[in-house]
Amino acid sequence: MKLTLNKFIALLFASFLLWSCTKDGSNNAASAAGKGGSLSRFTIVGNFLYVVDNHFLYSYNISSPTNPVKTNTSAINFDIETIYPFNNRLFIGTRTGLYIYSIDTPSIPSKLAEARHARSCDPVVANDSIAFVTLKGNSNCGPAESGLYVHSIKNIFQPVLIKKVLINSPEGLGLQGSTLYICCNNEGLKVFDVSQPANPAEIRTVTGAYFKDVIPYGNLLICYVSSGIILYDITAPTNPVLLKHITN
Amino acid sequence: MRLLWILIVISTFSSCWPKVKPGEPRNNTQKVFGYKPVYGAETFAKKIIYANTPQPVVAAGNIYVKGDLIYQVETGKGIHVIDNRIPAQASRVGFLTINGSSEISIKGDFLYTNSYDDLVVVDMSNINSISEVKRVKGAFPEGRTNYFFVQPPEPGYYECPRYDSVVIGWKKDSVQAGCYKN
Repeated sequence: MKLTLNKFIALLFASFLLWSCTKDGSNNAASAAGKGGSLSRFTIVGNFLYVVDNHFLYSYNISSPTNPVKTNTSAINFDIETIYPFNNRLFIGTRTGLYIYSIDTPSIPSKLAEARHARSCDPVVANDSIAFVTLKGNSNCGPAESGLYVHSIKNIFQPVLIKKVLINSPEGLGLQGSTLYICCNNEGLKVFDVSQPANPAEIRTVTGAYFKDVIPYGNLLICYVSSGIILYDITAPTNPVLLKHITN
Repeated sequence: MRLLWILIVISTFSSCWPKVKPGEPRNNTQKVFGYKPVYGAETFAKKIIYANTPQPVVAAGNIYVKGDLIYQVETGKGIHVIDNRIPAQASRVGFLTINGSSEISIKGDFLYTNSYDDLVVVDMSNINSISEVKRVKGAFPEGRTNYFFVQPPEPGYYECPRYDSVVIGWKKDSVQAGCYKN
């Protein structure tokens, strides 16, 4: 009996190790950076920390972690709100448009393109070929039509709006593979299949909270809601299963 | 025609005029009952402390994840730390006090955040002895004046804060009505 129990514990321990391995897959080195939500103003890519305030993009070399060295300050525009990295690009959301910067030379980001839009609040996530922007039009943000705006960035110098899906009060968003999660405040968390980006298919809406921002992290979806943090299992990406609601 | 131009210019800039409400003070030398900044000694206001005691969330902000921990900003006050080793049992386990903070990014053992207008690096390698290892003063000049947490908790007139000092709170008092929060 005792042996069986020991075996069971060993098995449990082994599976725990295995499980932590799979999770480390997205974060494979101890020196790797973590992952932020789409409403962030700080992001780390490689040995550089990029920060946006309302007007500027600051670049810091952090290869010596305890001694950040500023390498560049770029004036972008007014009302910068968010920064999102993908590979060697920075996607910067402002109230008047989406800006794309190259960090091929990481110490000095250089502007590749901008896609102007009506005044609004606008976080952005992206992959190699598509940038997904949510625009929130209201009294604070501006007059734009609220919704999901899909830009093709196959030609990185010339983003093209290929689809607009009207959605009420979208805020933060997260992309994992071909699944897009959009926080829609009181209206819930909308889950889209974006395997055909020009034709996003709404799969379901998770309700029960006021959703503000989201981070897909392996099999885990971390949601910032007004009442706290909600964790979902997204082993089946389009079917989030509630794991835990950490209340404020 | 000239009159038209004058009208256009006036109407363009009229939204920049301070809002004066009927029955409210008309200039910033008049005293009203409102919020007054409470200043902290800079060393105290900028002291970074970690405590193994979860704090209630009042002004929730950005989220961040790395490894087994989830972080959430308590806007202007610091960072909640959530143990996520077993997501179904995740819970807040501690609070990192960093006044003037609203952002998080982590690489390796080092957490990068803002503290008012400073860039701060915090060594997280030992949760029991978390320490500030670098502070780049004045890295983000807008942080002095432009963050909403240098405003009082409620709408109304308040005494404009000095920007050479660090505001750690607000108290109600008879104040000079220089600033207004909508």
